[in-house]
Amino acid sequence: MAASISGLLKPWTPRVFLVRWSRYNPYYLEPEVRKEEYNRPETDLSPEEIEERELKIHRPIKAAVNSVSSSGYNDPVISKFINMMMKHGNKVLAREIMTDTLESIKRKQVEKYHKAPEGKREEIECNPYAIFHQAMDNCKPIVGMASIQKGGKYYQVPIPLSENRRRFLAMKWMITECRENRHRRTHMYEKLSQELLAASAKEGNVIKKKYELHKMAEANRAYAHFRWW
Amino acid sequence: MALYRLSFRLRHTVNHARPLHVSGCGKQQEAVVVESEPEPLSVFRTQENDPACQSEKHIGQYFTLDPAHTRTIFPHGLPNRFQLQMKTFNEACVMVRQPALEVISYLKKTDFSKPPVRYLFYGLKGSGKTMSLCHTVHFCHTQGWLVLHIPDAHLWVKNCKELLPSSFNPSRFDQPLQAAEWLRNFKITSEPFLSKIKTKQRYVWTKREYTEEGSTLAELVDMGISRVKSSSDVVGAVIKELRLQSGQPESNFRLAVAVDGVNALWGRSTIKKEDKSAVDPDELTLVYNLRKLMRNDWTGGAIITTLSQTGSLYTSRTDYLPQELLGERGFDKMDPFVPVSVPNYSEKEFESCYLYYMDRHWLQHPHSQTEEGKKEIIFLCNRNPSLMERFCATH
Repeated sequence: MAASISGLLKPWTPRVFLVRWSRYNPYYLEPEVRKEEYNRPETDLSPEEIEERELKIHRPIKAAVNSVSSSGYNDPVISKFINMMMKHGNKVLAREIMTDTLESIKRKQVEKYHKAPEGKREEIECNPYAIFHQAMDNCKPIVGMASIQKGGKYYQVPIPLSENRRRFLAMKWMITECRENRHRRTHMYEKLSQELLAASAKEGNVIKKKYELHKMAEANRAYAHFRWW
Repeated sequence: MALYRLSFRLRHTVNHARPLHVSGCGKQQEAVVVESEPEPLSVFRTQENDPACQSEKHIGQYFTLDPAHTRTIFPHGLPNRFQLQMKTFNEACVMVRQPALEVISYLKKTDFSKPPVRYLFYGLKGSGKTMSLCHTVHFCHTQGWLVLHIPDAHLWVKNCKELLPSSFNPSRFDQPLQAAEWLRNFKITSEPFLSKIKTKQRYVWTKREYTEEGSTLAELVDMGISRVKSSSDVVGAVIKELRLQSGQPESNFRLAVAVDGVNALWGRSTIKKEDKSAVDPDELTLVYNLRKLMRNDWTGGAIITTLSQTGSLYTSRTDYLPQELLGERGFDKMDPFVPVSVPNYSEKEFESCYLYYMDRHWLQHPHSQTEEGKKEIIFLCNRNPSLMERFCATH
């Protein structure tokens, strides 16, 4: 009940915090894991930040969650992707698939790089992280569809998407595509690396799916005024 | 310099307080330094591709294996990750490291009229034992030795698809598939020798099939490949012939026995008999014959072995010392051996490896190219070669 209400009220209410089930009382402050924040000299800080820093001296701080890290190799988008791929809380497996995917992308690209003649080498992108981000960007849809009831009928109405929703759709499509259209003898990481490489070049089934959505939104744009909010 | 190295060696050997049997190779001499060498192109590469000429000053540098040779020398011996790396980098580069150089320097000065010396590479998991073995095997090949290379002895005591009672001795078991595969690779590695060596005995395989005395070893091996059923016995025959003939005045080859994962020979196996009881490694024909080769009752060669915890059965993951992995029985059987410790990368070796990866465009994450990122790599993998390779593969 509470969830449905908060879902309905979402556009105009601030985020709802769990108070009753939180293990920290409101007195606790959020942790900061970035190293650079602590190295900044006092003179660079704005008055609010100085105030916050002084608050931190005498107020307790929440424990940092497991997935954040101050390492330079930490990548929030990849971490999100791993969490979305995870099943039954088996993060070790999900992370292994991701590392294998990145490795296999890099192996393919570096091999291509070393086989290419001298002049063409610069064009080949070898960084698997760049390829991953490029692929995710290419998969993000611009408009979405929502089912709206109007006069006893349901209409598919094009709606704008938030950045969060776009990222979610791109990742979800990528994962479902790799799970469902994978040959049973290929590993998940092989399929994922193929799809990511294809998506980074604006090819592949995920991109096709995105274009289908766009086409549908284009076709149904006459219903756009059904969206009243 | 020699004194320093000796004390370094002793520090490792003192732990295994047993008298060492070192026949004529305890003395260490400086390897011949090749003068007037062309200036190397980069700090982490050496132009000296012949393991016989590599010396202390090449430690930490990479030398290139000739791609034509890798197929004939190592059809099965190289570790999987290294094969992947060879494919990715389009070249095969191996780092010159102290343990391999040490064994090579011993091999150069060995007196071959004496029984063979057993060298044993040991070290933490992923510290490069197998690669050191491969480096030594490469040396033996370039010297024109006959190399009997067993890439992983652990594979012979587990996951056996077909287990047949031996026709020669019914209390033993044959593993035809493993034996045939090994023979096929052995044929590739020692092609030039096989036609020169003649058998000294008549072997009867079945009622109708036999190999006459004086036929070449190539015929014997072909026989084993085509008649898979008797391949295990053929392996035994090949081992026997080589053992008897090496070091004899009329034979003109040196025999190098390279065994990876030698602790499998005295461990336990997971292969089950018909009545679900475990097979003892004694009862496997392949292991039984290989053990005979580990005895030093033959002459004219050397035995180079590697301990490995990876793939071994019923051992703790943290074990790496010879007495832990070999067990009491194995240690007694191997006993006079020369332990060679394979440590993690030193600072210089790490630097060279890092530069090599940079040169090959292997480190792609922007953070890994900074000084901070390098420190993080060291922190995460503690300069362990295998961990470092795995970490760098994804960053």
